[in-house]
Amino acid sequence: MENNQIFDGQPVIEFDKESDRRNFIKWAGVVGVGSTLVAGGLGKQWASAQEDSDIGILNYALTLEYLEADFYTRGLDADILSGRDQELVSPIKAHEQAHVSTLSQTITDLGGEPVKKPGFKYPGATFKSKDGFLKTASVFEELGVTAYHGQVTKIKNPDLLAAAASIAGVESRHAAILAGLTGGNPFPAPVEKTAAMAEVLKAAKPYLK
Amino acid sequence: MNRRLFIKGSATALPATVALQMMSTRFAYAQSSDFSGDVDVLNYALTLEFLESEFYRQGNAAGLLSGTEKTYLEAIGADEDAHVAAISQTISKLGGTAVKAPAVDFGKSFGSAKSFLKTAHVFENTGVSAYLGAAGFITNPDILQAAAGIFGVEARHAAVVGNLLGLAPEGGVYQGATETALTKDEVLKAVAPFLAADSGAMAGGAAVTQ
Repeated sequence: MENNQIFDGQPVIEFDKESDRRNFIKWAGVVGVGSTLVAGGLGKQWASAQEDSDIGILNYALTLEYLEADFYTRGLDADILSGRDQELVSPIKAHEQAHVSTLSQTITDLGGEPVKKPGFKYPGATFKSKDGFLKTASVFEELGVTAYHGQVTKIKNPDLLAAAASIAGVESRHAAILAGLTGGNPFPAPVEKTAAMAEVLKAAKPYLK
Repeated sequence: MNRRLFIKGSATALPATVALQMMSTRFAYAQSSDFSGDVDVLNYALTLEFLESEFYRQGNAAGLLSGTEKTYLEAIGADEDAHVAAISQTISKLGGTAVKAPAVDFGKSFGSAKSFLKTAHVFENTGVSAYLGAAGFITNPDILQAAAGIFGVEARHAAVVGNLLGLAPEGGVYQGATETALTKDEVLKAVAPFLAADSGAMAGGAAVTQ
Protein backbone atom coordinates (compact mmCIF):
# COMPACT_ATOMS: atom_id res chain seq x y z
CA MET A 1 0.00 0.00 0.00
CA GLU A 2 1.60 3.19 -1.18
CA ASN A 3 0.63 5.98 1.14
CA ASN A 4 1.01 8.59 -1.55
CA GLN A 5 -1.92 7.02 -3.41
CA ILE A 6 -4.26 8.28 -0.77
CA PHE A 7 -2.73 11.75 -0.50
CA ASP A 8 -3.08 12.74 -4.16
CA GLY A 9 0.64 12.20 -4.57
CA GLN A 10 1.56 14.50 -1.69
CA PRO A 11 4.13 13.06 0.69
CA VAL A 12 2.95 12.34 4.19
CA ILE A 13 4.31 14.89 6.62
CA GLU A 14 3.92 14.17 10.25
CA PHE A 15 2.83 17.01 12.48
CA ASP A 16 4.32 19.84 10.46
CA LYS A 17 1.52 22.05 11.77
CA GLU A 18 -0.18 22.26 15.12
CA SER A 19 -3.52 21.45 13.47
CA ASP A 20 -2.07 18.23 12.09
CA ARG A 21 -0.85 17.21 15.48
CA ARG A 22 -4.26 17.93 16.96
CA ASN A 23 -5.87 15.93 14.19
CA PHE A 24 -3.70 12.99 14.95
CA ILE A 25 -4.47 13.17 18.63
CA LYS A 26 -8.13 13.15 17.66
CA TRP A 27 -7.61 9.96 15.67
CA ALA A 28 -5.63 8.51 18.50
CA GLY A 29 -8.52 9.29 20.82
CA VAL A 30 -10.89 7.59 18.46
CA VAL A 31 -9.05 4.32 18.68
CA GLY A 32 -8.13 4.77 22.31
CA VAL A 33 -4.40 5.34 22.08
CA GLY A 34 -2.78 6.67 25.26
CA SER A 35 -1.60 10.29 25.19
CA THR A 36 1.96 9.49 26.22
CA LEU A 37 2.33 7.23 23.22
CA VAL A 38 0.79 9.87 20.97
CA ALA A 39 3.41 12.30 22.23
CA GLY A 40 6.00 9.78 21.11
CA GLY A 41 4.73 9.90 17.54
CA LEU A 42 3.68 7.16 15.21
CA GLY A 43 6.28 4.67 16.33
CA LYS A 44 6.06 0.92 16.42
CA GLN A 45 5.67 0.90 20.20
CA TRP A 46 2.47 2.86 19.75
CA ALA A 47 1.08 0.32 17.34
CA SER A 48 1.96 -2.69 19.44
CA ALA A 49 0.53 -1.12 22.58
CA GLN A 50 -2.85 -0.82 20.96
CA GLU A 51 -2.68 -4.12 19.15
CA ASP A 52 -2.40 -5.92 22.46
CA SER A 53 -6.09 -5.47 23.12
CA ASP A 54 -8.87 -7.27 21.24
CA ILE A 55 -11.30 -4.45 21.99
CA GLY A 56 -8.69 -1.99 20.70
CA ILE A 57 -8.42 -3.94 17.46
CA LEU A 58 -12.21 -4.13 17.10
CA ASN A 59 -12.50 -0.38 17.65
CA TYR A 60 -9.80 0.19 15.08
CA ALA A 61 -11.73 -1.97 12.59
CA LEU A 62 -14.94 -0.15 13.53
CA THR A 63 -13.31 3.23 12.82
CA LEU A 64 -12.29 2.08 9.35
CA GLU A 65 -15.74 0.62 8.69
CA TYR A 66 -17.35 3.92 9.78
CA LEU A 67 -15.13 5.70 7.26
CA GLU A 68 -16.08 3.28 4.49
CA ALA A 69 -19.81 3.34 5.30
CA ASP A 70 -19.79 7.16 5.33
CA PHE A 71 -17.76 7.30 2.12
CA TYR A 72 -20.11 5.02 0.14
CA THR A 73 -23.20 6.75 1.50
CA ARG A 74 -21.93 10.11 0.23
CA GLY A 75 -20.66 8.68 -3.04
CA LEU A 76 -23.92 6.91 -3.86
CA ASP A 77 -25.96 9.96 -2.77
CA ALA A 78 -23.97 12.02 -5.27
CA ASP A 79 -25.64 9.96 -8.01
CA ILE A 80 -22.59 9.76 -10.27
CA LEU A 81 -22.71 6.04 -11.01
CA SER A 82 -24.94 4.21 -13.42
CA GLY A 83 -25.49 0.76 -14.87
CA ARG A 84 -23.25 -2.07 -13.75
CA ASP A 85 -20.99 0.31 -11.76
CA GLN A 86 -23.90 1.33 -9.60
CA GLU A 87 -25.14 -2.25 -9.25
CA LEU A 88 -21.72 -3.40 -8.07
CA VAL A 89 -21.07 -0.52 -5.66
CA SER A 90 -24.52 -0.30 -4.00
CA PRO A 91 -24.18 -3.59 -2.07
CA ILE A 92 -20.75 -2.48 -0.84
CA LYS A 93 -22.37 0.35 1.11
CA ALA A 94 -24.79 -2.13 2.69
CA HIS A 95 -21.89 -4.44 3.60
CA GLU A 96 -19.91 -1.66 5.28
CA GLN A 97 -23.01 -0.62 7.26
CA ALA A 98 -23.51 -4.23 8.34
CA HIS A 99 -19.85 -4.40 9.41
CA VAL A 100 -20.33 -1.25 11.53
CA SER A 101 -23.36 -2.83 13.27
CA THR A 102 -21.71 -6.19 13.82
CA LEU A 103 -18.47 -4.76 15.17
CA SER A 104 -20.32 -2.33 17.47
CA GLN A 105 -22.49 -5.12 18.85
CA THR A 106 -19.52 -7.43 19.30
CA ILE A 107 -17.58 -4.78 21.23
CA THR A 108 -20.60 -4.22 23.47
CA ASP A 109 -21.08 -7.97 23.98
CA LEU A 110 -17.46 -8.27 25.06
CA GLY A 111 -17.97 -5.55 27.66
CA GLY A 112 -16.17 -2.84 25.70
CA GLU A 113 -17.31 0.54 24.52
CA PRO A 114 -17.63 1.05 20.76
CA VAL A 115 -16.02 4.25 19.47
CA LYS A 116 -18.44 6.92 18.33
CA LYS A 117 -18.73 7.65 14.63
CA PRO A 118 -16.06 10.23 13.78
CA GLY A 119 -16.70 13.18 11.47
CA PHE A 120 -15.16 12.73 8.03
CA LYS A 121 -14.01 15.01 5.23
CA TYR A 122 -12.97 14.28 1.67
CA PRO A 123 -11.07 16.26 -0.95
CA GLY A 124 -13.52 18.44 -2.90
CA ALA A 125 -13.32 16.47 -6.12
CA THR A 126 -13.94 13.05 -4.54
CA PHE A 127 -17.63 12.84 -5.36
CA LYS A 128 -17.64 15.05 -8.46
CA SER A 129 -16.91 12.25 -10.89
CA LYS A 130 -17.23 8.52 -11.21
CA ASP A 131 -13.44 8.24 -11.47
CA GLY A 132 -12.82 10.25 -8.32
CA PHE A 133 -15.28 8.16 -6.33
CA LEU A 134 -14.23 4.74 -7.60
CA LYS A 135 -10.49 5.38 -7.42
CA THR A 136 -10.76 6.55 -3.81
CA ALA A 137 -12.99 3.54 -3.11
CA SER A 138 -10.34 1.24 -4.55
CA VAL A 139 -7.67 2.78 -2.30
CA PHE A 140 -9.92 2.46 0.77
CA GLU A 141 -10.70 -1.19 0.03
CA GLU A 142 -7.07 -2.17 -0.46
CA LEU A 143 -6.25 -0.28 2.74
CA GLY A 144 -9.02 -2.13 4.58
CA VAL A 145 -7.79 -5.52 3.36
CA THR A 146 -4.21 -4.86 4.52
CA ALA A 147 -5.55 -3.47 7.82
CA TYR A 148 -7.51 -6.63 8.63
CA HIS A 149 -4.68 -8.90 7.56
CA GLY A 150 -2.26 -6.88 9.68
CA GLN A 151 -4.21 -7.90 12.79
CA VAL A 152 -4.54 -11.65 12.12
CA THR A 153 -1.82 -12.69 14.55
CA LYS A 154 -2.66 -9.98 17.09
CA ILE A 155 -6.22 -11.03 17.92
CA LYS A 156 -6.29 -13.26 20.97
CA ASN A 157 -9.86 -14.55 20.94
CA PRO A 158 -10.28 -17.15 18.16
CA ASP A 159 -13.97 -16.37 17.72
CA LEU A 160 -13.14 -12.75 17.05
CA LEU A 161 -10.56 -13.87 14.56
CA ALA A 162 -13.24 -15.84 12.73
CA ALA A 163 -15.56 -12.86 12.75
CA ALA A 164 -12.84 -10.54 11.49
CA ALA A 165 -11.81 -13.01 8.80
CA SER A 166 -15.36 -13.36 7.55
CA ILE A 167 -15.46 -9.56 7.12
CA ALA A 168 -11.97 -9.36 5.62
CA GLY A 169 -12.91 -11.80 2.86
CA VAL A 170 -15.73 -9.48 1.80
CA GLU A 171 -13.33 -6.52 1.75
CA SER A 172 -11.13 -8.57 -0.58
CA ARG A 173 -14.09 -9.07 -2.90
CA HIS A 174 -14.76 -5.32 -2.87
CA ALA A 175 -11.09 -4.55 -3.52
CA ALA A 176 -10.94 -6.88 -6.51
CA ILE A 177 -14.15 -5.54 -8.07
CA LEU A 178 -13.09 -1.91 -7.63
CA ALA A 179 -9.66 -2.61 -9.06
CA GLY A 180 -11.38 -4.08 -12.08
CA LEU A 181 -13.70 -1.06 -12.44
CA THR A 182 -10.80 1.40 -12.26
CA GLY A 183 -8.36 -0.34 -14.57
CA GLY A 184 -6.25 -1.67 -11.70
CA ASN A 185 -5.10 -5.21 -10.97
CA PRO A 186 -7.72 -7.24 -9.06
CA PHE A 187 -5.06 -9.78 -8.10
CA PRO A 188 -2.01 -7.79 -6.97
CA ALA A 189 -0.43 -10.72 -5.08
CA PRO A 190 -1.11 -14.44 -4.49
CA VAL A 191 -1.40 -13.75 -0.74
CA GLU A 192 -3.01 -10.64 0.79
CA LYS A 193 -0.55 -8.07 2.12
CA THR A 194 -0.57 -6.70 5.65
CA ALA A 195 -0.25 -3.23 7.14
CA ALA A 196 0.35 -2.24 10.74
CA MET A 197 -2.19 -0.15 12.60
CA ALA A 198 0.03 2.95 12.66
CA GLU A 199 0.56 2.80 8.91
CA VAL A 200 -3.16 2.45 8.22
CA LEU A 201 -4.17 5.26 10.56
CA LYS A 202 -1.59 7.53 8.97
CA ALA A 203 -3.14 6.87 5.57
CA ALA A 204 -6.67 7.42 6.88
CA LYS A 205 -5.84 10.50 8.96
CA PRO A 206 -6.53 13.12 6.27
CA TYR A 207 -10.15 11.96 6.11
CA LEU A 208 -10.89 12.69 9.77
CA LYS A 209 -12.53 16.01 10.55
CA MET B 1 8.66 -16.68 14.40
CA ASN B 2 8.83 -14.78 17.70
CA ARG B 3 5.20 -13.85 17.66
CA ARG B 4 2.92 -14.73 20.49
CA LEU B 5 1.35 -18.11 19.87
CA PHE B 6 -2.20 -17.67 18.74
CA ILE B 7 -3.30 -20.67 20.72
CA LYS B 8 -2.61 -18.75 23.90
CA GLY B 9 -5.74 -16.77 23.23
CA SER B 10 -8.01 -19.78 23.20
CA ALA B 11 -7.94 -19.84 26.98
CA THR B 12 -9.78 -16.50 27.02
CA ALA B 13 -13.25 -16.83 28.45
CA LEU B 14 -15.87 -15.94 25.88
CA PRO B 15 -19.07 -14.26 26.99
CA ALA B 16 -22.30 -15.02 25.16
CA THR B 17 -21.77 -13.13 21.96
CA VAL B 18 -24.98 -12.44 20.15
CA ALA B 19 -23.24 -10.54 17.38
CA LEU B 20 -20.86 -13.37 16.66
CA GLN B 21 -23.77 -15.74 16.33
CA MET B 22 -25.41 -13.35 13.90
CA MET B 23 -22.41 -13.71 11.66
CA SER B 24 -22.70 -16.64 9.37
CA THR B 25 -19.40 -18.23 10.26
CA ARG B 26 -19.44 -21.64 11.89
CA PHE B 27 -15.77 -21.36 12.72
CA ALA B 28 -16.42 -21.49 16.43
CA TYR B 29 -18.52 -24.59 16.19
CA ALA B 30 -16.45 -26.64 13.76
CA GLN B 31 -16.03 -30.33 14.50
CA SER B 32 -12.96 -30.77 16.64
CA SER B 33 -12.33 -34.09 14.93
CA ASP B 34 -11.94 -32.46 11.49
CA PHE B 35 -8.20 -31.84 11.74
CA SER B 36 -5.43 -33.20 13.93
CA GLY B 37 -3.02 -30.29 13.58
CA ASP B 38 -1.45 -27.68 11.35
CA VAL B 39 -0.01 -30.18 8.84
CA ASP B 40 -3.40 -31.83 8.54
CA VAL B 41 -5.06 -28.48 7.77
CA LEU B 42 -2.30 -27.65 5.30
CA ASN B 43 -2.73 -30.95 3.48
CA TYR B 44 -6.45 -30.31 3.22
CA ALA B 45 -5.71 -26.86 1.76
CA LEU B 46 -3.10 -28.37 -0.54
CA THR B 47 -5.58 -30.87 -1.94
CA LEU B 48 -7.96 -28.04 -2.81
CA GLU B 49 -5.17 -25.93 -4.30
CA PHE B 50 -3.97 -28.89 -6.41
CA LEU B 51 -7.49 -29.26 -7.69
CA GLU B 52 -7.77 -25.57 -8.55
CA SER B 53 -4.32 -25.36 -10.06
CA GLU B 54 -4.96 -28.30 -12.38
CA PHE B 55 -8.43 -26.99 -13.19
CA TYR B 56 -7.03 -23.67 -14.45
CA ARG B 57 -4.12 -25.37 -16.22
CA GLN B 58 -6.54 -27.44 -18.28
CA GLY B 59 -9.10 -24.65 -18.65
CA ASN B 60 -6.61 -22.03 -19.76
CA ALA B 61 -5.04 -24.48 -22.20
CA ALA B 62 -8.44 -25.12 -23.80
CA GLY B 63 -8.34 -21.76 -25.60
CA LEU B 64 -11.89 -20.80 -24.66
CA LEU B 65 -11.23 -17.26 -23.45
CA SER B 66 -9.93 -14.01 -24.87
CA GLY B 67 -9.28 -10.45 -23.72
CA THR B 68 -9.90 -9.59 -20.07
CA GLU B 69 -11.37 -13.01 -19.30
CA LYS B 70 -8.21 -14.69 -20.54
CA THR B 71 -5.93 -12.30 -18.65
CA TYR B 72 -7.85 -12.70 -15.39
CA LEU B 73 -8.17 -16.48 -15.54
CA GLU B 74 -4.47 -16.85 -16.30
CA ALA B 75 -3.65 -14.63 -13.32
CA ILE B 76 -5.93 -16.73 -11.13
CA GLY B 77 -4.23 -19.91 -12.35
CA ALA B 78 -0.83 -18.42 -11.49
CA ASP B 79 -2.08 -17.59 -7.97
CA GLU B 80 -3.23 -21.18 -7.45
CA ASP B 81 0.16 -22.48 -8.63
CA ALA B 82 1.81 -20.15 -6.09
CA HIS B 83 -0.47 -21.46 -3.36
CA VAL B 84 0.44 -25.08 -4.18
CA ALA B 85 4.15 -24.24 -4.01
CA ALA B 86 3.90 -22.24 -0.78
CA ILE B 87 1.77 -24.80 1.06
CA SER B 88 3.94 -27.74 -0.08
CA GLN B 89 7.09 -25.96 1.14
CA THR B 90 5.47 -25.11 4.46
CA ILE B 91 4.47 -28.73 5.07
CA SER B 92 8.06 -29.81 4.37
CA LYS B 93 9.45 -27.15 6.71
CA LEU B 94 7.18 -28.42 9.47
CA GLY B 95 8.55 -31.93 8.91
CA GLY B 96 5.29 -33.20 7.47
CA THR B 97 4.55 -35.16 4.32
CA ALA B 98 2.65 -33.32 1.62
CA VAL B 99 -0.23 -35.16 -0.01
CA LYS B 100 0.11 -35.95 -3.71
CA ALA B 101 -1.97 -34.21 -6.32
CA PRO B 102 -5.31 -36.03 -6.62
CA ALA B 103 -6.42 -37.60 -9.91
CA VAL B 104 -9.03 -35.29 -11.35
CA ASP B 105 -11.80 -35.33 -13.91
CA PHE B 106 -13.39 -32.03 -14.81
CA GLY B 107 -15.90 -33.64 -17.13
CA LYS B 108 -17.53 -31.14 -19.45
CA SER B 109 -16.26 -28.07 -17.60
CA PHE B 110 -14.23 -26.99 -20.61
CA GLY B 111 -17.01 -27.42 -23.15
CA SER B 112 -17.50 -23.66 -23.34
CA ALA B 113 -16.16 -20.42 -21.88
CA LYS B 114 -19.30 -20.13 -19.79
CA SER B 115 -18.98 -23.62 -18.36
CA PHE B 116 -15.29 -22.98 -17.52
CA LEU B 117 -16.19 -19.75 -15.70
CA LYS B 118 -19.19 -21.26 -13.91
CA THR B 119 -17.15 -24.15 -12.59
CA ALA B 120 -14.36 -21.74 -11.60
CA HIS B 121 -16.90 -19.68 -9.66
CA VAL B 122 -17.99 -22.75 -7.69
CA PHE B 123 -14.39 -23.73 -6.97
CA GLU B 124 -13.46 -20.27 -5.74
CA ASN B 125 -16.44 -19.83 -3.44
CA THR B 126 -15.90 -23.32 -2.06
CA GLY B 127 -12.23 -22.47 -1.47
CA VAL B 128 -13.14 -19.29 0.43
CA SER B 129 -15.52 -21.21 2.72
CA ALA B 130 -13.05 -24.07 3.16
CA TYR B 131 -10.28 -21.77 4.39
CA LEU B 132 -12.64 -19.98 6.75
CA GLY B 133 -13.89 -23.29 8.15
CA ALA B 134 -10.38 -24.66 8.70
CA ALA B 135 -8.61 -21.56 10.01
CA GLY B 136 -9.67 -22.21 13.59
CA PHE B 137 -7.61 -25.39 13.68
CA ILE B 138 -4.33 -23.63 12.90
CA THR B 139 -2.11 -22.99 15.92
CA ASN B 140 1.05 -21.51 14.36
CA PRO B 141 0.55 -17.76 13.87
CA ASP B 142 2.69 -17.56 10.75
CA ILE B 143 0.67 -20.31 9.11
CA LEU B 144 -2.51 -18.59 10.18
CA GLN B 145 -1.30 -15.36 8.59
CA ALA B 146 -0.52 -17.16 5.34
CA ALA B 147 -3.81 -19.07 5.29
CA ALA B 148 -5.75 -15.84 5.89
CA GLY B 149 -3.78 -14.19 3.09
CA ILE B 150 -4.66 -17.00 0.68
CA PHE B 151 -8.30 -16.96 1.81
CA GLY B 152 -8.55 -13.27 0.87
CA VAL B 153 -7.14 -13.89 -2.58
CA GLU B 154 -9.61 -16.73 -3.19
CA ALA B 155 -12.35 -14.24 -2.31
CA ARG B 156 -10.95 -11.85 -4.94
CA HIS B 157 -11.02 -14.64 -7.52
CA ALA B 158 -14.59 -15.60 -6.62
CA ALA B 159 -15.84 -12.02 -6.95
CA VAL B 160 -14.12 -11.32 -10.25
CA VAL B 161 -15.24 -14.57 -11.86
CA GLY B 162 -18.78 -13.89 -10.65
CA ASN B 163 -18.60 -10.49 -12.31
CA LEU B 164 -17.22 -11.93 -15.56
CA LEU B 165 -20.29 -14.16 -15.61
CA GLY B 166 -22.47 -11.06 -15.21
CA LEU B 167 -24.09 -12.50 -12.10
CA ALA B 168 -26.22 -10.45 -9.72
CA PRO B 169 -23.92 -8.47 -7.43
CA GLU B 170 -25.44 -9.82 -4.20
CA GLY B 171 -25.46 -13.59 -4.16
CA GLY B 172 -23.30 -13.78 -7.30
CA VAL B 173 -20.32 -11.44 -7.07
CA TYR B 174 -20.62 -10.99 -3.29
CA GLN B 175 -21.97 -13.59 -0.89
CA GLY B 176 -23.38 -11.23 1.71
CA ALA B 177 -21.71 -8.91 4.22
CA THR B 178 -19.69 -11.78 5.70
CA GLU B 179 -18.13 -14.91 4.25
CA THR B 180 -19.60 -18.28 5.21
CA ALA B 181 -17.54 -21.18 6.51
CA LEU B 182 -17.93 -24.79 5.38
CA THR B 183 -16.85 -27.88 7.28
CA LYS B 184 -14.37 -30.33 5.81
CA ASP B 185 -17.16 -32.81 5.05
CA GLU B 186 -19.17 -30.19 3.20
CA VAL B 187 -16.16 -29.12 1.15
CA LEU B 188 -15.11 -32.65 0.26
CA LYS B 189 -18.66 -33.41 -0.82
CA ALA B 190 -18.65 -30.30 -3.04
CA VAL B 191 -15.42 -31.21 -4.80
CA ALA B 192 -16.02 -34.98 -4.95
CA PRO B 193 -17.48 -34.81 -8.48
CA PHE B 194 -14.11 -33.56 -9.74
CA LEU B 195 -12.02 -36.28 -8.15
CA ALA B 196 -11.51 -39.13 -10.63
CA ALA B 197 -12.97 -42.55 -9.81
CA ASP B 198 -9.49 -44.06 -9.44
CA SER B 199 -8.66 -41.64 -6.63
CA GLY B 200 -11.09 -43.60 -4.49
CA ALA B 201 -13.67 -40.85 -4.37
CA MET B 202 -16.99 -40.58 -6.12
CA ALA B 203 -17.23 -41.10 -9.87
CA GLY B 204 -16.05 -38.10 -11.87
CA GLY B 205 -17.55 -36.48 -14.88
CA ALA B 206 -19.86 -33.92 -13.35
CA ALA B 207 -19.46 -30.29 -14.26
CA VAL B 208 -21.31 -27.09 -13.71
CA THR B 209 -23.08 -26.66 -17.01
CA GLN B 210 -26.45 -25.13 -18.02
